[in-house]
Amino acid sequence: MAFTVEKYKREISAAAAFAVLLIVVGIAAPSFFEAGNLRDLIVNNAATMLIAVGMTVVILAGEIDISVGSQFAVCSIAAGMLAKTGLPIVFVFLCVLLIGAAMGALNGLLIGSFRLPSIIVTLAMLVIWRDALRWSTEGAWVQDLPMDFQWFGLRQGPGELVIVGVTLVLFVAAAWSMRNMVAGRKVYAVGSDAEAARLAGIDPQAVVFWVFAVMGALVGIAALLNAIRFSAVPGNAGLGLELKAIAAVVVGGTAITGGRGRMVGTLIGVALLGTIGTALTFVGINPFWEKAIQGAIILAALASDVVLGRLGTNGRFDLIGKRTAQN
Amino acid sequence: MDVSISSANAPLKIEQGWRERLFPNNEWILLIVLAIECAVFGVTGNNFLTAGNFFEITRLSVEIGLLALVMTPIIITGGIDLSVGSMMGLAAVVMGGLWRDAGLPIWLAIIITLAIGLLGGALNAVMITRLKSPPLIVTLGTFSLFRGIAEGLTRGIENYSGFSSSFLFMGQGYVFGVIPTQLFIFVPVIAAVWWWMHRTAFGRSLYAIGFSPEGSRHAGIRVRRRLNIIYCLSGLASSLAAVIYVAHLGQAKSDAGTGYELTAIAAVVLGGASIFGGRGTVLGTVLGLFAIVLLQNGLRLSGQPTEMAGVLTGVLLVVIIMADRLFRRGGLRLTTESVSEEEFEVKNWQIGVLSFVILLAALIVAGTNWMLVRSIRDDHGVSVAPQTQQPKGKKNVIAMMPKAKGDPYFISCRKGAEDAAQELGAELLWDGPTDLDPAKQNEVVEAWITRGVDVIAVSVENKEGISTVLRKARARGIKVVTWDADAEKDARDFFVDQATPQGIGETLTDEAARIMGGKGDFAIITASLSAANQNEWIKYIKQHLAEKYPDMHLVTIQPSDGDRDRAFQETQNVLKVYPNVKLIMGIAAPAVPGIAEAVKQSGRNDVKVTGLSLPNMCKPYIKEGIVDSIVLWNTLDLGYLTVYASNALANGTLKPGDDKVNAGRLKDIQVAGDEVMLGKPFIFNKDNIDQFDF
Repeated sequence: MAFTVEKYKREISAAAAFAVLLIVVGIAAPSFFEAGNLRDLIVNNAATMLIAVGMTVVILAGEIDISVGSQFAVCSIAAGMLAKTGLPIVFVFLCVLLIGAAMGALNGLLIGSFRLPSIIVTLAMLVIWRDALRWSTEGAWVQDLPMDFQWFGLRQGPGELVIVGVTLVLFVAAAWSMRNMVAGRKVYAVGSDAEAARLAGIDPQAVVFWVFAVMGALVGIAALLNAIRFSAVPGNAGLGLELKAIAAVVVGGTAITGGRGRMVGTLIGVALLGTIGTALTFVGINPFWEKAIQGAIILAALASDVVLGRLGTNGRFDLIGKRTAQN
Repeated sequence: MDVSISSANAPLKIEQGWRERLFPNNEWILLIVLAIECAVFGVTGNNFLTAGNFFEITRLSVEIGLLALVMTPIIITGGIDLSVGSMMGLAAVVMGGLWRDAGLPIWLAIIITLAIGLLGGALNAVMITRLKSPPLIVTLGTFSLFRGIAEGLTRGIENYSGFSSSFLFMGQGYVFGVIPTQLFIFVPVIAAVWWWMHRTAFGRSLYAIGFSPEGSRHAGIRVRRRLNIIYCLSGLASSLAAVIYVAHLGQAKSDAGTGYELTAIAAVVLGGASIFGGRGTVLGTVLGLFAIVLLQNGLRLSGQPTEMAGVLTGVLLVVIIMADRLFRRGGLRLTTESVSEEEFEVKNWQIGVLSFVILLAALIVAGTNWMLVRSIRDDHGVSVAPQTQQPKGKKNVIAMMPKAKGDPYFISCRKGAEDAAQELGAELLWDGPTDLDPAKQNEVVEAWITRGVDVIAVSVENKEGISTVLRKARARGIKVVTWDADAEKDARDFFVDQATPQGIGETLTDEAARIMGGKGDFAIITASLSAANQNEWIKYIKQHLAEKYPDMHLVTIQPSDGDRDRAFQETQNVLKVYPNVKLIMGIAAPAVPGIAEAVKQSGRNDVKVTGLSLPNMCKPYIKEGIVDSIVLWNTLDLGYLTVYASNALANGTLKPGDDKVNAGRLKDIQVAGDEVMLGKPFIFNKDNIDQFDF
């Protein structure tokens, strides 16, 4: 497992792009690097980071989950409502984690056990959860939360530390276990070639199920960590979050066809995409161009694959690499 | 090449019965779904089974239908195109810009727009076939890129309107009195795509590519060229859909077609196409499209919440692909979906998880519903007033539409409206888009016209777009009221005016000046960059600044997309980039709490917050002294007054020329010309905030 430029070239190119961005912003607006700004950036992107970690696992397994934004909204509202009933915050945390995992498990069940295509199942869930939430709450905010909800009842500084700490621990754990634990290697195996994995004694259905369940649990944690930064929970949280997370994973070098990619790439991807909006404001570019620049970065990441000679060889016209297994 | 394709397909045809021939992908399931929808809504909906409603449904489905039609060949080849909705946005603003700013004749603008669509499709095609990138990711990138360019070009603000009536006829007119004009584009396109997909060698070759791109290449099919063509066509069809969309709504804005890609994909997949490629039919797509559109229309005519349509569509999608999977197990296998998929074992614990999740979901929905109902009841007690003002025997049906149902501002308007309806004994229908969406507003009004209501009261998102339908409603004898934001004057009977844009802009500026002492820097956090109301207010704010407060500088305007968390982040940035800012003004209800939280967490005691928001949302921050004051009218009263005015209009007690109208607990309200005046904007601050609860 020696470090070679060849092996990490995709991550290196993303990191280089990030470095260029930082240098340009640093020259144009040095105040960008003030501690306060960096802290805000990290705290603001913690939730996205957790979702992107889960999304990396899902994509590595050769699947995709576009329902995370809606799950995020359901978990946020659930967190608010549970906290309002006066339950201790630890208990709220566990409940929200369970609710997220349950929604993820439902995806996993339909995709893993019933063999339905993940993009369609999660498209359906995207609409179902979002509209069910709107139907039942009619967009209302959860307000008047108890005092110990915001920052877990801590002060702002320690509260932020908890958020960043939890995110960091989960990231490191995910990165380590994906590379070194049997479960992680199974995900890679299933994502590379499900049929071969099955013949090698892995149960692809179970792997896919657990991948989605873990994704859901991470959504639950992310939703709670995001919710405790405020004193009220809005009804429309997490709109467009799925695209943000997928874009970050892809920019970070994970192959959408599954089986190839690393957590550290995702970290760079989240950092790159999460910094752009703020960087634009600092440099003084009109916010109207933010979306266009994000799109251009995704396309540039794809084009750089070609420049770096990392062409997809198998199933090149496939949507998510499903058919590579049968060819 | 043609020989190889037909011979490749020949063996498949041998054992087909009529059912397989007509419905190769179990599309008959959809016919049953459609029949059930017709039966149910025929009973529950008003005027659901009428020719007029049928044609209205087809009109509303043209734009998404076009996208779904060209999505079919793409999905059949195993690809996907997420960029179609964004392409509509880009095409719409390009067309508007060419026509109005560049002064080109409309036909030339349309041709160039179509060319731009083709070009956008070509970009997708090149990335997919030359760079060999997966379509999902390529089109995810262009999804962002196209919409971003559209917003950048127009600064999000530009809204092109005032198109000639002959152009608008294409999207709004009727031929022979009942047939919507766009059907004359849509039906030939369906026929052409059907013929092209099912009766030409080109179409057949797409199935081959879907089964096995590599195999097709070896069989002599020019895979790349075919894929290039279908992705270009997709771009072209999106821009055509955009042209029809603009003609339909009478306006071109960068938010055209938001979210259409998902509905189009859902329609194609419902229609039996496999997302892995290799199967799907045009007939199926058309049936899938109507299954979705009928559901939305039917629920609306039955007075049910439209969110139900989303939930049901999602469930239908899962059920149909699951049923399809089950039916397919023993039947004729057309697909190459792997043999190992035959075995699908479900373990007991998995069933357990499934049941648990369903139970949990049901509990959550029931629980939130219960809490909501309880909170509303708590909020304003049970106000049963004597029903004296209502003439006996007639119950007016008042249909009231907000700009966005999920917006807390409109939620509080609704409470007032419901109070009034209860007092008057009128039936209140409350429906509208869940998020800002001008096209949805038109759909809802159309449905209400078909349903036959007494009064339609609309908070207008898009003046030009909705005025045509409102005129149509008036022509059918329905009274029309606008509230919160006005339509064109001849499209409504009365406008319930809460405050003029000028009044709001000036009050906000005066408040800012009072807090800042008339000099210094301040910043504005607005809703989305394309929000019409907010842009109007900003215009008056700037004007008022120039006239009265030359020492105050508006340093920046940042968007929040009506999202509190986004407002929070933008405020953090503003505080750092513009350290001299002494005040931040939020002009969208969810933005102000976001701004206040950011200011609070930054520890900057010298920065104050003001703006336009709801008292309940800002109460904690006002008490802490972070938010100095907020400007708003009483939204409860606005909803209340609108229902009273609507009811009076329906009963004939409010006529043009009246100078006042009786509005229950608000007593007599002044009427000026055709405007019912609620009164001046109100300023909420630390001293009076506790008196209000909305």
